[in-house]
Amino acid sequence: MTAAVGTALQARVDAFTFHGENTPALCDVAISVLPGCLTAVLGGSGSGKSTLGKLLAGWLRAGHAGQLRGSLELDGTRLDFRGLPEDPRINPAEWSRRVAFVPQDAAAMLSTVRATVAEELAFGLENRAVPRKDMLRAVEHTAARTGLTGLLARDPATLSGGELRRLAVACAVIAEPDILILDEPLASLDAAGAAQIRELVRSLCHAGSSTTPTGTATGNPTGVVLLSQSADTLAREATHWTVLDGGTVTATGTPAQLLGSAELERAGVLQPGAPGSGALHSDALDTGAGARGRSSAGGLRPGPAPLELCRVAFGYGHEPRRRGVPPEEQVLRRVLQDLDLAVRPGEIIAVTGPNGAGKSTLLRHFNGLLRPSEGDVRVCGRSITGVPVGTVAASVGLLFQHPRDQLFERTALREAAFGLRQLVGKAQAEGRARAALAAVGLSTADEAVHPAELSASQQRLLALATVLAREPAVLALDEPTVGLDRRGLERLGQAVAAAAARGTAVVLVTHDLAYARATAHRVLVLDGGSLRDV
Amino acid sequence: MMPERNDAVTARLHPFTALTAAACTAVITTAAASWPLSITVALAAAVLAVRCGAARQVLAAAAVILVPLLLSLLVLHGLFFPEGHTVLAQWGPARVTAEGLGFALEVGTRTTACVLVLLLFSFTVSVPDLLAALAARKIPPQFGFVVASTLTLLPAVARRLDRIRQAQETRGMVVRGGLLARLGALRLQMVPLVLALMDDAGSRAQALEARGFGSPGPRTSYRDVADPPLQRHLRVAALVLTAAAFTARIVASWPAGGTA
Repeated sequence: MTAAVGTALQARVDAFTFHGENTPALCDVAISVLPGCLTAVLGGSGSGKSTLGKLLAGWLRAGHAGQLRGSLELDGTRLDFRGLPEDPRINPAEWSRRVAFVPQDAAAMLSTVRATVAEELAFGLENRAVPRKDMLRAVEHTAARTGLTGLLARDPATLSGGELRRLAVACAVIAEPDILILDEPLASLDAAGAAQIRELVRSLCHAGSSTTPTGTATGNPTGVVLLSQSADTLAREATHWTVLDGGTVTATGTPAQLLGSAELERAGVLQPGAPGSGALHSDALDTGAGARGRSSAGGLRPGPAPLELCRVAFGYGHEPRRRGVPPEEQVLRRVLQDLDLAVRPGEIIAVTGPNGAGKSTLLRHFNGLLRPSEGDVRVCGRSITGVPVGTVAASVGLLFQHPRDQLFERTALREAAFGLRQLVGKAQAEGRARAALAAVGLSTADEAVHPAELSASQQRLLALATVLAREPAVLALDEPTVGLDRRGLERLGQAVAAAAARGTAVVLVTHDLAYARATAHRVLVLDGGSLRDV
Repeated sequence: MMPERNDAVTARLHPFTALTAAACTAVITTAAASWPLSITVALAAAVLAVRCGAARQVLAAAAVILVPLLLSLLVLHGLFFPEGHTVLAQWGPARVTAEGLGFALEVGTRTTACVLVLLLFSFTVSVPDLLAALAARKIPPQFGFVVASTLTLLPAVARRLDRIRQAQETRGMVVRGGLLARLGALRLQMVPLVLALMDDAGSRAQALEARGFGSPGPRTSYRDVADPPLQRHLRVAALVLTAAAFTARIVASWPAGGTA
């Protein structure tokens, strides 16, 4: 299946313009990927990284998705595109057999018709008629490399954000591509998950020392392209960096040459050491226990706690009816147990913990989207038992982990204004919505844009704006830093600090311990169903 | 989160066996045209649905299909049945006749039985098993995907609607219990639902293509669906029995049709 010699991919994009657009999304971009090398394309949100990745991987096809002028060269075969109908056409299935892509939105990688993680992994192999015994071996091997072994029997729809990302990467790796393109692979991964991906990338680059997924020792090293808005530990292992800004290359060189450079800064790339540069700093989890950075956190305010959780317990899913088993023993997964939490006005609390620990589940208890099986949740001194979510929402704002779960309106402005009329009246609603959009850095030009057309970073900021516009007494943020570039992080930091200064109680869930320490008064870890201080 | 359904009865059945059983039962019930049998079959399907833990979905879907149908049958044949002689009540042109009611009962119970049996199959069949079984029979995977997508469409739409509702509630939309209030809330969710489903489909298509789904050529299956010989024999027997019932029905009604 694989060529005897490693494949190199070379691309030259003079211009790539999406159909219906006037300005090119990419302009004067050249990149070459060598076997066994990690190449990083760094750039802020909306710089064109994902477009470039999809173009290289055949997910965006010339003529089909837009007009391409330039060339793609794979393993010595060069395809020239002049933006004309007679341009060569790429067969996406054949192309991606060689060049695999893992999108930023991991869920988009899944077939959705497979019942277990193991079958989802095997989906691509089934389509290529790999014999069943080879598939079994490949699934086992790939699962071990990506830390999915314990999850093979789970339904992919029930995986946590971090687990889903590892599955998406595994789905690409299992097909043994010559080139692997990873779009923000470390987003929403915990420290262990990020370490696993780093280890996987290293082993792919140095293949030959280990056996390939199907057990045959072909020893072809893979060329890996990393698309990232953070110069994180994985990016710093790259041999070559390309800095993308506004759809064009502004700098190229080795990490040593470009770290701290003005081009990197201008592009909005997160530099090492900056809070928010990902789970990559969470190796710090073991160090400095008890140290609590309060650099950006203001002072606490006196007064009753806007949010209290008392001995809260919760579990997911019940087994199907089984005779003779009392209902209380049928709970499959207990997520929260005897959990106590009180957040004071103006206090910022960060909650960390491994993927799947139940952090998102905890936040969904604050406004009643999930109800505890035991214990009580009190908002502004009142129990929310029996109170509709929509009513609690006047006091609790919740930012979901995935912006696409939060956004449903036709334009950014309508999105931010949804529900405001009932809260503050017609006269003020639009002004509030506009102010919230401006506070997160979305311009008046963005107001009329459909949320799905915004970049990932802007989508998260828009979701944040919808929450901020309501000025709730309790602000619950689920992984707010994921997908944000440096500018986005600054906006987030300002918004959180401003809310806390107004006396809002803030609870944020994050894998990024550096960010947690820099932002929060207290850092708690969710472990075994309850919270404890780090 | 939906409770996982792992029913002991259907877990042992090959999807084709379940499909054959459902289809044959529907055909035989139709051929027999006997309301006591129809009622027995409908009750059996309902009991099985309860035992499989799928009662709520099966009965809810059945209600949506059957209630309007049964009402229209009752109005059409119960009140206006030209061949009816035994008049029970009369309002102008509308006559309630015993024959009309009998016919409505006959057709109504037969339809109820068929709908319940087929819904029971579609809500209890393991979609992955069905897909694997189809693939093993060299059925084009695209066809299998369409079947699977159709069977999983309702749950997928329900999940998506649930997410949109959660997002809207989180921003102050209060959903109250009443039917009108729910319909009002649903109206707010329709446009986002359609847009979200289209967006999903678009991004999914790229991933499916990249993973070789659209490419021609042979395929293999990771999932191994056991098809014991006993079930294969059972399927053949069920098909023969159904063919016999069908033939018997034709033969039985032929002279009547001829003399009429």
